[in-house]
Amino acid sequence: MIAFALADLRRLWAASLTIVLLIALATALGVTVTLQERALRLGSARAADKFDLIVGAPGSETQLTLSSVFLEPAPLPLVAGATLTKLAADPRVAWAAPIGFGDSYRGNPIVGTTTALIAGTTGGFTTGRMFALEGEAVAGAAVNLEVGAELHPMHGSGAAGDDGEVHAETTYTVVGKLQPTGTAWDKAILVPIQAVWHIHGLGEDHDHAEEGEEHEDEAGGEEHHHHGAIDADAPLDEHFDRDLPGLPAILVKPKSIADAYKLRQEYRTGGGTLAVFPAEVLTRLYATLGDARTVLMLIAYGAQGLLAAALLLITVIHVTQRRRQIGALRAFGAPRLAVFGIVWIELLGLVAIGLAAGFAVGYATAEGLSAAFAARNGFRLPVEFTLGDAGLAAALLLVAGLIAAIPAALAYRLPPVEALRS
Amino acid sequence: MMTLEISDLAISFPGLASPVLTIDHLALEAGGRLAVTGASGSGKSTFVNLVSGLGRPDRGRVVWRGVDIARFSESQRDRWRGQNVGLVMQDFHLFAGLTALDNVLLPARLAGAYNGEHKRRAHDLLSRVGLARPDQRIETMSRGEMQRVAVARALLRRPGILIADEPTASLDPEAGSAVGSLLTELADSEGATLLVVSHDERLTERLGRRVRLSAGRIVADSALEVRS
Repeated sequence: MIAFALADLRRLWAASLTIVLLIALATALGVTVTLQERALRLGSARAADKFDLIVGAPGSETQLTLSSVFLEPAPLPLVAGATLTKLAADPRVAWAAPIGFGDSYRGNPIVGTTTALIAGTTGGFTTGRMFALEGEAVAGAAVNLEVGAELHPMHGSGAAGDDGEVHAETTYTVVGKLQPTGTAWDKAILVPIQAVWHIHGLGEDHDHAEEGEEHEDEAGGEEHHHHGAIDADAPLDEHFDRDLPGLPAILVKPKSIADAYKLRQEYRTGGGTLAVFPAEVLTRLYATLGDARTVLMLIAYGAQGLLAAALLLITVIHVTQRRRQIGALRAFGAPRLAVFGIVWIELLGLVAIGLAAGFAVGYATAEGLSAAFAARNGFRLPVEFTLGDAGLAAALLLVAGLIAAIPAALAYRLPPVEALRS
Repeated sequence: MMTLEISDLAISFPGLASPVLTIDHLALEAGGRLAVTGASGSGKSTFVNLVSGLGRPDRGRVVWRGVDIARFSESQRDRWRGQNVGLVMQDFHLFAGLTALDNVLLPARLAGAYNGEHKRRAHDLLSRVGLARPDQRIETMSRGEMQRVAVARALLRRPGILIADEPTASLDPEAGSAVGSLLTELADSEGATLLVVSHDERLTERLGRRVRLSAGRIVADSALEVRS
């Protein structure tokens, strides 16, 4: 029966191929949407994984999250440096680290921070070591710099159209390269926060509160401002117990979940601060994205439904066209069930091949989109199938089996005499 | 050996006033040779359908060796036909994309009756009908060769009945004559009852008995003429 069905499909190869292609494309559409949406969710959940609580100045919670977790360049209001001093001394806090943006090197953001943040959010070094002097830098896994390389930071994000000035008098030396984390931070060059302050003439003998105000739109990189220079050989100072300049964001690692909620409550309202759980902000974002996904999925289902109807039409016509063949099979003694089986297996076989191809094409497309995303944003969105996808494939096959049973039943009911006469 | 006895048979089609075929009585001895002739529309094809179990009469009995197949259900008739009847048709009804050998074996396979012996027999039958290449694809064969394959297929399961419906009508005279000879020779050597519907006189003359149909009735029967 199967050999006959195969010979039949070989004979009708052009039509079979067309049907397989149609099914593959309709399936690929749905699979790509599902995979890509999941990849986005997984990818950013992974990115936000190490970011328990972020404290910044009052403003957009979403922007604070996107800028800290995804290093998206945007002008952030600055939170008073005293907030970091207070958080660092808080007994509920395991560690609190500043995140200072503003400079970049060849499209890689330079982030001023502390050894605690690097130790707490990455898996360690592939080569080299942690920075120990003001002029040393640690490169993320996706940064095209090796240990020993030297770089001059540039003010601004370095994106097209953003012609920032180069801090020519400042040189960082890469002393370590981090293991990949699969997040946007893989593209970042991490330097001691004090270096960022010094480059921008902060944290010296100025009135820090005013400095903070003056540099509110620093990340935009527009204004020309006075700079200082770093003292490349100065030792690290990570004791934030004195007056500090304003900061775009502070990453806080609470000691427990209960502490996390208490801290957020405390820093959420009033006191000139904003505290967010990035995971929560992202979840809210996905709820919005989810609606878009629902629309896309409905379109994909609609396409599949239309295709199923078209296929049903094609196959019913097909059975009518091969009445003679079916009649002959019966005349020579093939049982009705064998006739049913041939028609059913041929159709289901085409659908199964189409589905498999569709899943493959969908996966490849999602991978391609992910790669394009990675090229632009520095981290990969993980494309993976889940058990639920197998369930979906099984459900589609089941539906295909039921639909294929209609023409098969037509063939089953065809009286051989009439079939031969036509 | 299969005897045939038809009695009190009638079949009508919807929309036609008179029955398409009415046979009060017709008997054929086991291993007999019967040719059915008649103009088109005389009921020949209906006759083939009824004696092969493809169709079912409105009334009457079609008894092959004591078994009335007119009372069978469709599935029972399919099974019975597969086991007892070898069919050869005007249009061959071979399946493109399969080899000669696979075409011969296909009905047995689809009926779930296939065993290793069938393959040996298929090779044997193909060589007996004069085909040397069992692995040749059907669509590359001449019409005469195709009908030989059809004859081999008809005989695969050692049917007691061989029914041929205009087996030579779509062949040139030479090929038609060869197929006609094959049918009678193989029916003889296999001991099958042979029933041929044809208006090819060179073929019908080879057969012992001729029945002529007209307007759904038997109007001449050579067996009765001899007797009377």
